[in-house]
Amino acid sequence: MKKTEYIKLIDTTRCTACRGCQVACKQWNEMPASRTRNFGSYQNPPDLQWNTWTLIRFQEYADKNGDFKWLFRKDGCMHCTEAACIKVCPSGALYHTDYGTVALNRSACIGCKACVSACPFDIPRYNQATDKIYKCDLCYTRLHEGQKPACVLSCPTGAITIGEKKAMIEAAYNRVDKLDGKATVYGDKFVGGTHVMYILSENPAAYDKLPSNPKVPASVILWKNLFKPFTLIGMGAVAGMAALHYLIKGPHEVHEKKEGGEHDV
Amino acid sequence: MSDTVRDMVRVTDPIERISHWLLAGSCLFCLFTGLGFMFRTWGFIPSLLGGLYALKWMHIFSGVVFGFALVHAYTMWRKDCAFEPDDAQWIKQGGGYLWKTSSLPPVYKYNAGQKLFFWFVVVFGVLIVLTGLVMWNPLAFPVAVARWSYALHALSALVIGSFFVVHLYLGTIGNPGTFQAMTTGWCSRAWCETHCPRWLADHYKKPE
Amino acid sequence: MTNHYIDLKNSDVILIMGSNAAENHPIAFKWIMRAKDAGARVIHVDPRYTRTSARCDYHVPIRSGTDIAFLGGMINYIIEGNKFFRDYVVNYTNASFLVNPDFSFKDGLFSGYDAKKRTYNKDTWTFQKDENGVPLKDPTLKHPQCVFQLLKRHYSRYTLDKVSSITGVSKENLLKVYEEYSATGAPDKAGTECYALGWTHHTSGSQNIRTMAIIQLLLGNMGIAGGGINALRGEPNVQGSTDHCILYGNLPGYLKMPNASLAKLEEYLKKNTPTSNDPQSANYYQNYPNFFVSWLKSLYGDAATPENGFGYSWLPKLDDGKHYSQLHLFDRMYEGGIKGLFAHGTDPAVSSPNTNKTRKALEKLDWLVCANIFDNETASFWFGPGVDPKQIKTEVFLLPAAATMEKEGSQSNSGRWVQWKYKAATPPGDAISCGDIQIRMMDAIKALYAKEGGPNAESILNLKWDYKDRQGNMDVLKVAKQINGHWEADVEVVDAGEKKLFKKGGLVPTFGMLRSDGSTSCGNWIMSGSFGADGENKMARRGKDDPTGLGLYPNWSFAWPVNRRIIYNRASCDIYGRPYNPKRKLLEWTGEKWVGDVPDGPWPPMADKEKGKYPFIMKSDGVASLFGPAMAEGPFPEHYEPLEGPLAKNPLSSQLINPTIEIFSSDLDQVANASEKFPYVCTTYSCTEHWCSGALTRWQAWLLEMQPELYVEIGEELARELEIANGSKVKVSSARGEAKCIAMVTKRFRPFTIEGRTVHQVGLPFNYGWLYPEDGSDSTNFLTPSVGDANTFCPEYKAFMVNVTRI
Repeated sequence: MKKTEYIKLIDTTRCTACRGCQVACKQWNEMPASRTRNFGSYQNPPDLQWNTWTLIRFQEYADKNGDFKWLFRKDGCMHCTEAACIKVCPSGALYHTDYGTVALNRSACIGCKACVSACPFDIPRYNQATDKIYKCDLCYTRLHEGQKPACVLSCPTGAITIGEKKAMIEAAYNRVDKLDGKATVYGDKFVGGTHVMYILSENPAAYDKLPSNPKVPASVILWKNLFKPFTLIGMGAVAGMAALHYLIKGPHEVHEKKEGGEHDV
Repeated sequence: MSDTVRDMVRVTDPIERISHWLLAGSCLFCLFTGLGFMFRTWGFIPSLLGGLYALKWMHIFSGVVFGFALVHAYTMWRKDCAFEPDDAQWIKQGGGYLWKTSSLPPVYKYNAGQKLFFWFVVVFGVLIVLTGLVMWNPLAFPVAVARWSYALHALSALVIGSFFVVHLYLGTIGNPGTFQAMTTGWCSRAWCETHCPRWLADHYKKPE
Repeated sequence: MTNHYIDLKNSDVILIMGSNAAENHPIAFKWIMRAKDAGARVIHVDPRYTRTSARCDYHVPIRSGTDIAFLGGMINYIIEGNKFFRDYVVNYTNASFLVNPDFSFKDGLFSGYDAKKRTYNKDTWTFQKDENGVPLKDPTLKHPQCVFQLLKRHYSRYTLDKVSSITGVSKENLLKVYEEYSATGAPDKAGTECYALGWTHHTSGSQNIRTMAIIQLLLGNMGIAGGGINALRGEPNVQGSTDHCILYGNLPGYLKMPNASLAKLEEYLKKNTPTSNDPQSANYYQNYPNFFVSWLKSLYGDAATPENGFGYSWLPKLDDGKHYSQLHLFDRMYEGGIKGLFAHGTDPAVSSPNTNKTRKALEKLDWLVCANIFDNETASFWFGPGVDPKQIKTEVFLLPAAATMEKEGSQSNSGRWVQWKYKAATPPGDAISCGDIQIRMMDAIKALYAKEGGPNAESILNLKWDYKDRQGNMDVLKVAKQINGHWEADVEVVDAGEKKLFKKGGLVPTFGMLRSDGSTSCGNWIMSGSFGADGENKMARRGKDDPTGLGLYPNWSFAWPVNRRIIYNRASCDIYGRPYNPKRKLLEWTGEKWVGDVPDGPWPPMADKEKGKYPFIMKSDGVASLFGPAMAEGPFPEHYEPLEGPLAKNPLSSQLINPTIEIFSSDLDQVANASEKFPYVCTTYSCTEHWCSGALTRWQAWLLEMQPELYVEIGEELARELEIANGSKVKVSSARGEAKCIAMVTKRFRPFTIEGRTVHQVGLPFNYGWLYPEDGSDSTNFLTPSVGDANTFCPEYKAFMVNVTRI
């Protein structure tokens, strides 16, 4: 099958934070609601949860000039090309689909939670009751059937769109050209490019919980690119050296009688 | 029961041997299962043990056993494994394993190589257990702690695993007559004179 | 809506005022975004920075209840700055009409005020007429007694300083909005206004809208693509229910409910049929008798004959001078004057103002019949908080009703589109549609009357009641056809020079063919034509062709009247029928006919002095009213303070509050104006996540998760002053009651400077009740006053005074 990479583009300048996407996501993925309390914000649940794969973040923000903005950002899996979660997943439950997105085969997940901390965007969530990880899979089954993801379909203002990678990146830059100076495209410049991109009305640093320069964590690179191969190399090398030692020097025989200081240990 | 019978010397007591094998067994099992996580292509490991999910819990369980065994081994052997000035000399000469040497200082119970191995196991064992505990529930820790736990866990496995191979070699075919120290507990007097002369001198007089 | 949702995309400037469109009309908002994409400016004027504000070009905060002052200032700006569209104003409005010299306005009151009755005698609110009875005009607009000059004088008092001091809007902001909006007075520019409950929920609700109508007329924005005044109406089929007379003073199609003093049909028709002596005025309402008699025929069928006045005498009548709004209903109920109540698809124990009074009133009922898809606070009032079920004598019935997607029928959107929908699922258990409930109930009532008789029995027994299918269930198609209308006799009609014979029992093609002789019946004249004479259900059409390119989609469903997508559309052309804006050509006169949208009548444009007609055909004078004597408060809107406000004196006159609103005086109707005990202006609203009283949405776990409980939004400055922490529990109280809720401390409410004083405003949603969720919260309407608009009695939910305290 030929690989068609898709990108879901979230245009925050069109988002009205109606949260249709948040509900549509739960509906399609059959995720239950949690009993929440109002903690002084429209944002609820307060954070992503195992049963909340996408969340509109509400942020009251005053820029340097004191201009007030109410920022809305649809948070959720960014579907990285260099996906730290896939890198650390021991079971292969997390994997890249033909669309370049990161899907999750939950039956294979062993609940090791390695992906949780590895993710530079803090996306995967763990459910104690099922001992499994949950996150957006960009509606893999829907894409497979030629349907748009539930969130895209639900968006009344066209703030969420999906399409072929190149066209979407182009569309994102065209849109930013029409918007005022601060607007930026977010997602194509790091972790090999994400398959969810933003058009942000403000500098990325203005947004809560959005890394300005996300990377696969150094710890993950050390672990997977260095320590992992060296575990085999190390053990193999040592075993090899022992064998050589045995062949060259032979076993260390015990002397029946101690003679002088000569000591061949 | 006497500690010497004819030419044999009892070098370990049962507690030591149980502790050693608990430590070694859990370590080996952890290594084995750990490799099952680390190398997705080594599917034979999880399939041998009832799948990855079972493997996860076996790894955690044997890790806990390893942790307790480690603590016990530490309290048991730390005195015998305390470094002394002569150890530097021993190390300088590679313990005589690598080239001919004439002035190896006499060893007490454990030579510097064994001590080094012990301390590496203690340090990286503690590290692997602590990071393992973090990995058991990474959500309870700051993300940086969790992230580095995974890396350090792997590093520790690398170190312990490599030393484990050396230990295995030197404890078996590399040093004939050694393995029984951890099976029957009895070694030949000659073996003791070779490997732990000062200890032998301290504890057992030469049979008349 | 004068226009329709899609048409919002054709606008150059969109003023959203009195509406939180993005939150409460999220789907419609996409057309506003389309306009923005095309370069339109979108302005939000609202007390609170909302999700709508976030998507507008800018937000202008305004104190609740001062919209007329804000808009009056704009009228002043437009006239003084000569920004109005003169051609349009002279030809298409009554600006040039000369007003009765006895008409006056002094210190907040128009001529004819009766302080005792709190009403006006409107005898002087008239035009001077010539010997033929045609209004006198001065097209130069210079005559001191012409409407334009009176308008100019009236709003000259609304200076920037004055308006700024009343509304709390800075002068810079006022000028910014006035300038940008009045720029749409150019012929090739369109400005539109979107409002919703933020304008109607006021003691000055109707006049808020009328003030904007005056602005739209001055700028020539009425009847054009991208223009108009657009009420964003709700999903609960507000448009459809209003069209079908949910309001007590109306009959279907906005016909008037008869008064007791009009005992005979002729008297009634004479009173309600306008006349015009101007030959160029179409005065379409001269057809009123056709619509009304056809309606009587639909009601009483064959029993309605010319001899018995088509059953007019069987109709219930309103007592003269009495009102029957929900406010009056609950007032009388509280007095013990009402025995029973049907509360179908409504939850007044949460949604009506002054909850303490409403719930006490329910206790005085003998019986209460509720029909809903879930239990609600009304059906369960008898075991609500603080109620001892042993003391309640009311017998309560809760009938399980089908939800909207469980029944077939029509639903009307704000753009007057009557759209047919099909049944998606069968209602669960014993639930049946409300239509079936009515039919079964009425069957039983008819049977009882037939057996036992009773007062006004004819009114019940003569009722035409044949809306069932063979299984005995409601047949919605039969109802729809009766709404469209039938021929009640074989009739020959000359249509466009052609003779056509219509057979008895056939469907009437359009309301133009309705008759007052009993040969037609029609359940709602404005819907006539919705069911084609050939049997085509036009409401079910789903054609997507768009010949004008303006998004009219004439083959998608049916828009009343006669599939007209933008009403008053002849005003989009000059007096010769040439479009003012050729780029958005809504309609054009070819010399023989109109091309484009369905025109407001076939007549040539008004430059044709013989056959031509003025564009506003529903107005008796044929032109739009800058001077509007139909309003209760006066022909020009005037700013009055809300019933409860922060000011002891109206900065514009000695009339503090609207002089024509009815003041209820029960012991539970407490008012605290300019009181130190309740120093903060309060407003209420809905949120995206819940729907109306929340009686449906609170049971929906996904929605409840997002908005779990009642909150009050408080500005950071006030929160600091009161030492209220974000997310903490607080008590909001008014002279009538209190609400416990969570404090949401926000930058989105800022203090106002009103008459030199700092005034804080807070706001709460009205979507919660005690029944569910259990640890949630109770109704916000414990705080609101029982007072309403003087014309419609729509309650004041949007401006009153409260205090906020920590708990």
